[in-house]
Amino acid sequence: MSISFEHVSHVYSAGTPYEYKALDDVSVTIEEGKITAVIGQTGSGKSTLVQHLNALLLPSEGTICILDRTIKAGEKPKKLKSLRKDVGLVFQFPEYQLFEETVIKDVAFGPKNFGATEEEAMAKAREALTLVGLGQDTFEKSPLELSGGQKRRAAIAGILAMNPSVLVLDEPTAGLDPLGTIQMMELFHSLNKKYQKTILIVTHDMEQVFSHCDNVVVVENGKIRMHAPVSEFFRDSSLCREMNILPPALIRMKDLLVQYGFEVPQEVQDIDGLAKVIARQVKHHG
Amino acid sequence: MGNITLGRYIPLDSPIHKMDPRAKIMAMLIMLVSIFLPAGWTGYGIIFAVTALTIILAKLSFSFIWKAMKPMLFMLVFLFVINALFLKTGTPLVTVGSFVLYSDAIFQTLYIAVRLLLMVMITTCLTATTKPLDMTLGIEDLLKPFTKIHVPAHEIAMLISIALRFIPDLIEETQRIMKAQESRGVDLQEGKLTERIAAILSLIVPLFVSAFQRAEDLANAMEARGYAPGEPRTRYKVLKLAGRDYILLGCTIAVQLCMIWLAFLR
Repeated sequence: MSISFEHVSHVYSAGTPYEYKALDDVSVTIEEGKITAVIGQTGSGKSTLVQHLNALLLPSEGTICILDRTIKAGEKPKKLKSLRKDVGLVFQFPEYQLFEETVIKDVAFGPKNFGATEEEAMAKAREALTLVGLGQDTFEKSPLELSGGQKRRAAIAGILAMNPSVLVLDEPTAGLDPLGTIQMMELFHSLNKKYQKTILIVTHDMEQVFSHCDNVVVVENGKIRMHAPVSEFFRDSSLCREMNILPPALIRMKDLLVQYGFEVPQEVQDIDGLAKVIARQVKHHG
Repeated sequence: MGNITLGRYIPLDSPIHKMDPRAKIMAMLIMLVSIFLPAGWTGYGIIFAVTALTIILAKLSFSFIWKAMKPMLFMLVFLFVINALFLKTGTPLVTVGSFVLYSDAIFQTLYIAVRLLLMVMITTCLTATTKPLDMTLGIEDLLKPFTKIHVPAHEIAMLISIALRFIPDLIEETQRIMKAQESRGVDLQEGKLTERIAAILSLIVPLFVSAFQRAEDLANAMEARGYAPGEPRTRYKVLKLAGRDYILLGCTIAVQLCMIWLAFLR
């Protein structure tokens, strides 16, 4: 039971003048029960990579092992439906997929497609909606009446209601307000801790990577540039600078403190710890 | 859906690509009319030769034309079946039980197949070598004389260019929504009738919502920049006929006259 890519390549519009190789010989293993961040510039192949996870895209070359299934290039995958139930994929701006008359019906759509009865699906939908923080009063509303942030939550609930064991999110917080972003990330964090769900998040926000994720995969020009634990990736700012990534505020703060003559131990990774370090050293001097 | 070839622009560097869209549109119209003149097989031979030459000059491949033809094959098969069942003239060829296949059924189908092929070739020559925006400029200019009888030439051209501009966006959007719903277990290929209706609804509703949203955004953006239909406007790109455009028009008119002459001879 694992998620691994072995020498996977993906070519768009093969054999036409528009041919484009989005993934180039990618080999990577995603740790189960962890939150993995997938980062990289626009057009680097992040979205292509994650769409392989539930076989929306099939590899042009190579093999993907996901849970107990194997997807080989050139072979028609079997048990597609059960794979899609187990790997929930939330697209960028998922609010555009809402279509039912009421929010709860829309959330129940996924479970129903995977064979749940009407009552089961409704129960799952209620549970998922509560999980994402939407109240009873929204259940019977039309999705079009919700605010942008609520729509996003409803759409994510639509995937959570399928109870997937792997959750893949493509820029889930893009366009949300700061509070909404924090709540959303906390939700994913608790899903991981409480239900041991494997989570992959495609993101541009280093703060999110730093404070919520366990591992980082850096994609660059269709290749895996780096795969490391977050603590290692952000040990100091040198790796980030090397890849033209703006490090999280805390890391930049540590850099500045060192620059101004403070002694900052490397294992300090949060605001509290950093504040204590500063306080101790300032007191010492005073 | 990304491999629709009919009507797609192919960016290449060729003399045909550089021609004035107005000349190309006129040439296409003249050639299309030529197809429908009863000039017989010799006539079709000439049209085919001229069009094939244009395709070569435009650096397009014949496999591209073939791909554009493919969607028509189903129609042709259907047509052949109808012809075989109902056309009972000419010489009988094959007899299976009480069913007799006559030569005219084959000839009629072949006749239409050839016309269809020529039409696809000629229109592809235009659409594959002309940027959609240039095309609308050309259409606007060609419609200009009709403004005297209150044909809204500019508005029609604007309508077409906006519609064309949104085709790739809508295709992309459709694919995106399809993928999103497939992730929720929608199966667009199989399933019971009720399931399939739900599947199609799950595709169409979000598509409409986003299309209306886009339309409204575009209308606002255009108004914010002071767009008012019917106002006199200057143009960034001014079309000008060059020598090669006259050659093109001359050639097509020559083909046309040739067809008329052949039609009279018959």
